[in-house]
Amino acid sequence: MSYDLLSVYPAKLLEYGLAIGYLVLFVFFWKYVQGGKLAAARAAVRSSVLRHAGGWFHLPAGVHLHPGHTWARVEADGLVTVGMDDLATKLVGPIAIQVPAVGAPVQQGEAALSVTDGARAVSLMAPVDGTVVAVNSAAKTHEDPYGAGWLFRVRAPRLTANLRQLLSGSAALRLLEDASERLAQRMNPELGAVLQDGGVPISGIAQNLAGDGWDALAREFFLS
Amino acid sequence: MAEILAPAQPSFVQEKILLGMRPREYVRNLVTPFNVAAAAILAVGLPLLVLRFWKGLGATTHLSQSTPWGIWIGFDMMTGIVLAAGGFTIGAAVQIFGLKRYHAIERPAILTAFLGYVMAVCGLLADLGRPWNIIQALFHYGTASVLFEVAWCVMCYSTVLALEFTLPFLEWLGWDRWVVPLRKALIALTVLSVVFSTMHQSALGSLFLIMPTRLHPLWYSSTIYVLFFVSAVIAGICMVIVESSLSHRIFGDKSGGHHVDVDELTLGLGKAGAMVTFAYFFLKLQGVVDGHAWHHLATGWGAWFGVEVLGFVLLPCLLFAYGARERKVRAVRIGAVLGVLGIVLNRLNVSVIALNWQSTNRYVPSWMEVVISLTLVTIGLLLFRWIVNRMPILQASEAAEGSRP
Repeated sequence: MSYDLLSVYPAKLLEYGLAIGYLVLFVFFWKYVQGGKLAAARAAVRSSVLRHAGGWFHLPAGVHLHPGHTWARVEADGLVTVGMDDLATKLVGPIAIQVPAVGAPVQQGEAALSVTDGARAVSLMAPVDGTVVAVNSAAKTHEDPYGAGWLFRVRAPRLTANLRQLLSGSAALRLLEDASERLAQRMNPELGAVLQDGGVPISGIAQNLAGDGWDALAREFFLS
Repeated sequence: MAEILAPAQPSFVQEKILLGMRPREYVRNLVTPFNVAAAAILAVGLPLLVLRFWKGLGATTHLSQSTPWGIWIGFDMMTGIVLAAGGFTIGAAVQIFGLKRYHAIERPAILTAFLGYVMAVCGLLADLGRPWNIIQALFHYGTASVLFEVAWCVMCYSTVLALEFTLPFLEWLGWDRWVVPLRKALIALTVLSVVFSTMHQSALGSLFLIMPTRLHPLWYSSTIYVLFFVSAVIAGICMVIVESSLSHRIFGDKSGGHHVDVDELTLGLGKAGAMVTFAYFFLKLQGVVDGHAWHHLATGWGAWFGVEVLGFVLLPCLLFAYGARERKVRAVRIGAVLGVLGIVLNRLNVSVIALNWQSTNRYVPSWMEVVISLTLVTIGLLLFRWIVNRMPILQASEAAEGSRP
């Protein structure tokens, strides 16, 4: 390897130039990989696209599901919106919902709201820990369970830990698909899973399947 | 007195080893194109391995006094070790940095690392003239030697990997009493694995500090140990992307019903890969400038260096960046394959191709060296498949993470 004295200076110049060039380029590279505004806009578009699970129940991206069929979505202001998922909504049908009062504490995996029909009531679990800061006064099982059908908002201090325990993306879709299969089995126990004739379940599946025992069926799915 | 015969319970061997099949049924299932090819390689390679230990290096290799390192060092040892870096990369991400979503691919990564090290040690034993003397490193402390550090790091890290692998092994046997304490010790083992593998990967690079004239200036750098470590992280990320994609495609039925979003994990790894390869690319350039080696860029060696750095470092970097930004999983996977090939090429360049670059006596491996290398890789693949088919590797137990509500 040949070294000559004078080449030390251009070598050092190149070294420092390369290091500075790297640092400058890294800023642009980092921004490119992170996607910036373009990626955020695309994510927003993606999240607005409803994804279907097994053809029966739908789920928008950006929603985290609790296995007891409640959902949580982190809003831009840091608060977490909570509601019942599409399966829970269709399972119980149009029914009265009792939501916690503003200021009430809720705990992940503990009963936080209930659906009632006369003397029978079934609880659903909170998907996150925190304190209720707002309640949807028009709370009822809604055709838009992830939008206007939201139930309450929570200030969640342990959000990161809570979200790790929830399902999102394809894992959440899988939960709804599994539930769809279990319902299909109940509708047609002898045949098992068969190709459906194109119809979708009507609202109030539990009432239609189990009659007065609807609450037991709902408890089975809500894990309560 | 009438005896009531209980239905025959499958024996331990039938249940755990033969996957619940009867011996004849199991043997019939073994006849697949992959197994036939593997059997053919082993049928040639294993006798050659015996021949190497019986007749010595001279009878089986093209190694010489001027070229003591061949592909058993350049490929089996150097490449085997660097491709095993996924174990500490993912282990650190999950256990130390808390990126729990990568937990699903931690065990396959650790298994790959463990088998990579075992095979690398086998390659090293084949390469050593008197392999039985390797034990001397335990009793004679040549602390001024880089090889001393390498030897101890290999021993310590292999032990840590074996202990990490013990967890799925004990779960497989159903020895729950030992599983719980071992699971608690996993974070300590991960810390040790990061320490040992960091030292080991960089120490392998440090070996070349004593041969600045033998290694081509485009590859030699006074900070080559940093290049070795950073490229090991890249190799770890790339190998995990490639291996998890293949594993979940080939062994998808072994996931035990636990759904793993491999695509999402691949995109996350692609983002990390983009950052590290970007830094590595500039470190490679810095090495050239630091060694005043730019005038070599216009030579044939420079073109070969360009193939490595542009084709197998910069291109994967851009593919990772594009894939992570546009959520193109395929681009990330192609980048990862190129990344793995690039690291293999780098280790071969440093330890075989560009070493002794001024020598007129060029080393070309003998066919027996190539077959023995291929045999070791085949044994590694067969062991990986045998273990994944039986032990809880892909269905990384949910219990380890605490059950979901």
